[in-house]
Amino acid sequence: MKRVFSQCLKELNQFRRDRLTVALAFVLPLAVLLIYGFAIRLEAKNIPLAVQDFDNSFLSRTYVERLFATQQFVPTPLEGTTPTAALDRGDAKATVVIPPDFERRIKSHKPVTVQALIDGTDVNNARVIQNSLRATTQFFLRSSGLVPAQAASPIQPHLRIWFNPGRREALYIVPGIFGVILWVFPSMLASIALVREKEQGTIVQVYASDLSAVEWLLGKELAYVIVGLGEALVVMLVATLLFNLRFRGDPTTLIVGTVIYLGAAVAFGLLVGARAGNQTGAVQGTAIAGFLTALLLSGFIYRIENIPFPLSLVSNIIPARYFIDITRDAFVRGTGWIGVWYAPLAIALIGGFFFRVATRVLHRMQFKD
Amino acid sequence: MVLSQPPAAIAAQTSAIAVRSLRKRYGAVEALKGIDFAVQPGEIFGLIGPDGAGKTTTFQILAGVMESTSGEVNVLGTAPRNARLDLGYVTQKFSLYADLSIEENMRYSAGLRQVEGAEFESRARSLLQRVDLDRFRDRLAGQLSGGMKQKLALCCALVARPQVLLLDEPTTGVDPVSRREFWDLLAAVAAEGVTVVAATPYLDEAERCHRIALIYAGEIQQIGTVQELRDNLGLRRMEVRAESLDEAERALSQVQGTESPLFKGAATAGDPSDSIASEAIPPAPPGKGGGLNRGTERPLSKGAATAGDASAIVDIQTFGDRLDVMVTDAERGDQQIRAVLAQHDIALKDLRQDEPTLENVFVNQLRQQGLDPAYLEFPAYRSGKEKGGRAIDTHRLQKTFGSFQAVKGVDITVRYGEIYGLLGANGAGKTTTIKMLCGLLPASGGEIELAGQTSDLNRSEVRSRIGYMSQKFTLYDDLTILQNLEFYCGVYGVPKKLRREKIDWVLETCGLAGRENLTTGSLPGGWKQRVSFGASVMHEPDILFLDEPTSGVDPLARRQFWRLIRDFARRGTAILVTTHYLEEAENCNTMAFMVAGVIVAQGSPSGIKTSQPGQLIELVSGQTQAASDFLKERLEPWRVAIFGDRLHLVLDHPERELDEIHRWLAEADIEVQSARPIPFSLEDAFIGIVQRAEGA
Repeated sequence: MKRVFSQCLKELNQFRRDRLTVALAFVLPLAVLLIYGFAIRLEAKNIPLAVQDFDNSFLSRTYVERLFATQQFVPTPLEGTTPTAALDRGDAKATVVIPPDFERRIKSHKPVTVQALIDGTDVNNARVIQNSLRATTQFFLRSSGLVPAQAASPIQPHLRIWFNPGRREALYIVPGIFGVILWVFPSMLASIALVREKEQGTIVQVYASDLSAVEWLLGKELAYVIVGLGEALVVMLVATLLFNLRFRGDPTTLIVGTVIYLGAAVAFGLLVGARAGNQTGAVQGTAIAGFLTALLLSGFIYRIENIPFPLSLVSNIIPARYFIDITRDAFVRGTGWIGVWYAPLAIALIGGFFFRVATRVLHRMQFKD
Repeated sequence: MVLSQPPAAIAAQTSAIAVRSLRKRYGAVEALKGIDFAVQPGEIFGLIGPDGAGKTTTFQILAGVMESTSGEVNVLGTAPRNARLDLGYVTQKFSLYADLSIEENMRYSAGLRQVEGAEFESRARSLLQRVDLDRFRDRLAGQLSGGMKQKLALCCALVARPQVLLLDEPTTGVDPVSRREFWDLLAAVAAEGVTVVAATPYLDEAERCHRIALIYAGEIQQIGTVQELRDNLGLRRMEVRAESLDEAERALSQVQGTESPLFKGAATAGDPSDSIASEAIPPAPPGKGGGLNRGTERPLSKGAATAGDASAIVDIQTFGDRLDVMVTDAERGDQQIRAVLAQHDIALKDLRQDEPTLENVFVNQLRQQGLDPAYLEFPAYRSGKEKGGRAIDTHRLQKTFGSFQAVKGVDITVRYGEIYGLLGANGAGKTTTIKMLCGLLPASGGEIELAGQTSDLNRSEVRSRIGYMSQKFTLYDDLTILQNLEFYCGVYGVPKKLRREKIDWVLETCGLAGRENLTTGSLPGGWKQRVSFGASVMHEPDILFLDEPTSGVDPLARRQFWRLIRDFARRGTAILVTTHYLEEAENCNTMAFMVAGVIVAQGSPSGIKTSQPGQLIELVSGQTQAASDFLKERLEPWRVAIFGDRLHLVLDHPERELDEIHRWLAEADIEVQSARPIPFSLEDAFIGIVQRAEGA
């Protein structure tokens, strides 16, 4: 155990001397936090919409006003071009064409057709625009008294949004970012630390002593979990201040979960480091594997349930998935241990597997042929 | 060829290290082809050989960090892996953590071997004091000089009190003064009973070992004490200084004994006007098992016939300002050399005999195996510059990187037809100087004149007259050798019709004819270096810059290199070459020695040696270590150095001081068997210059 601690101490000394790794540990994660925290916006806002009103009557103008009243759309002028040309040039994401007999037909209780052209390049957005235009049209009809207010539906849903009543997007995104940051950077630092010993030949001294692979790796594991905790503290503190996050309920799930999650991330880094031959390989391996899985297969942005079958199995062994469950619970849901008891267990299992494989790779503590 | 090798049965019991038919294979490559040796406790055993000979592999197996393919390895009576805690291992790159301090590095190394607490404190303090690093305990290892790093690595290895110390080229690229201190330290450590196995590419360091093994291509060629190996060669070395070395070499090579069928082709097909035959002829192979070829009868050769007697001359090597002639018998050789030179009206300035160098031993050994690379004349089409004109001239040349002054006012003049050697340890500023001279790096101050130009040195007219071979290979690893050479022909604008011939010359000279379609990356370092030299001279430059052309090249290839370089010089090319092998400086006409960005000495090799005040004395004593310790207290420590079982002393006034030293040693009850003056080596000269400058 003494040798593990001396290994850990040496590793921390090296870490704090190397400005580049310190930057990698603290500056880059904060940058990632800011970029993701501010740049990822899933809700559709400020969509440019062009309206061609051939009627130009009182009713048609009221309808147009209604469209822009939600603030979801911003008006963009057509200026002589056709509606399709506006879409082609990308000036508008959608155009609405109001026929000349709009008001007349409504008043004579005949159905009227309003044409809406929607840019379908962005499928998701197109769907949002479509729904929004529909809803606005319905609302316009009702508010103008053109259809009876309580006419059709016998069921009236009474909606209330639980956990995040203001539907603040930051509450959804930021806890997910923790999962990405606290996986990618600690694993990258650990893999660099290991591979650097290979590159600089210092590993030979370790080989030439009787230190075992487990002792050697445990020392590094410990050191980088400590570094990772520092990182977690800084990132979470900045995030709560910037994005106005609060603990909901029991913080112990987050504390225990973070320690275990960092352990798994560092173990993964050690595994990559044990396999990689140089720093480039180590950085690329941890960065690509980390970002891909933590972004795409963890439920950070895209629902896990949407991942198709064979790939959905992979998401079960992505620790970030479980950690995001923990962070979302800690910052949004607040159910505590009852809600996420399984998550730390799953992460510990996966992390333990990584560590075991890393020690297997190095178990002889010798050069390979 | 194995001498003084104890029988294996005894060796296993008494020796610290015993290796029997050790083999190591990496895929298809056999790095070690069955080597045997044994090292006695307290012995300094040297493993001498070029890069790729198998030294590092041997060390890794001895240190227990790699498995052997087959064979027996016994370290301290057990398998190397079990002996790891009693081993100290210093690798080529020193294995230090650059971002940890001296103290932290020591503590970590000690911790790995479970030396802690008060025990660590006391050992670390005494070791660091001994190597004079105690003052810098908190300095980061990355900020230390090469010599200090090397000492720290040794301390890290010694802190656990190992019984065996394995040192894999610990002195490569380190300045001569530090190297000598390091070997002094090793001698002291060995005297305390630690067994030392050290590898070195410097043949002068090999002389400081008790016994050495010459290793080449995975096989041990010879084992013995340096003296044994020299005696076994059975040749004497004559140093010839004459008015015209070229003519002297030509004259002497005509009477050189020749009998090997291997090189008859070269000797008869050679160009009679030049020195083709001079080096291509190997001496008679001595019989197996240490047979001496001294006095063996040689058949008459064409050269011997002109001399009227069996020729005593076996080999001739040209250096910057002298010839080394290997002769079978000193007296006959002396007569023959004088006679031949008189016959050709060449004034002899000086002729002295000396022992053969280790390099002679090594070269001779390799030649017997037919490993001598072919020598072919370069197909020259441009008439070179007239000799003697100034090719390179610098005045107070300076370079500053940030706050670090890499080159501090260097004055160099190189003339056409001259070989100028720039020597110094790694980091002395050699490469920076060369880069400024060929326009790759702007100078921070001072003036440069290159081929008559003083500004815009990287214009294409200037560049087309320059050849540059850099320390790192400039070849593309994933192209074939042929593609690389064709590329460089294109880059340097070699006329199309001449390309084939030049490329053929490079391939033949490198011994790669017929293998030109190999990818360059698959070649070992030494071969790449030859191809890369070829690539840099194909356009027949007037000025040639060679940055460490010979590092990692075996002695035979190194000689071939220098011959090629000399040929270019003869044609009027100005050549500036850097090296950290001091012994190579002998090949230069003029040399300069750089320390920390400053030239501390400049002149011809002989000039520098003879301008040394004082005399070098070789002292043989039964108690070498005791004598050394004793004398180091009375004289300045740098004046005393242990070479194997002898002591070298630098005395400014030997006539007075020697008597006094005899008296001191007698009083201290240290017996002196002999004390005789020996000539300075360049190494001695530089250490003297540097130390005197520091003392002043």
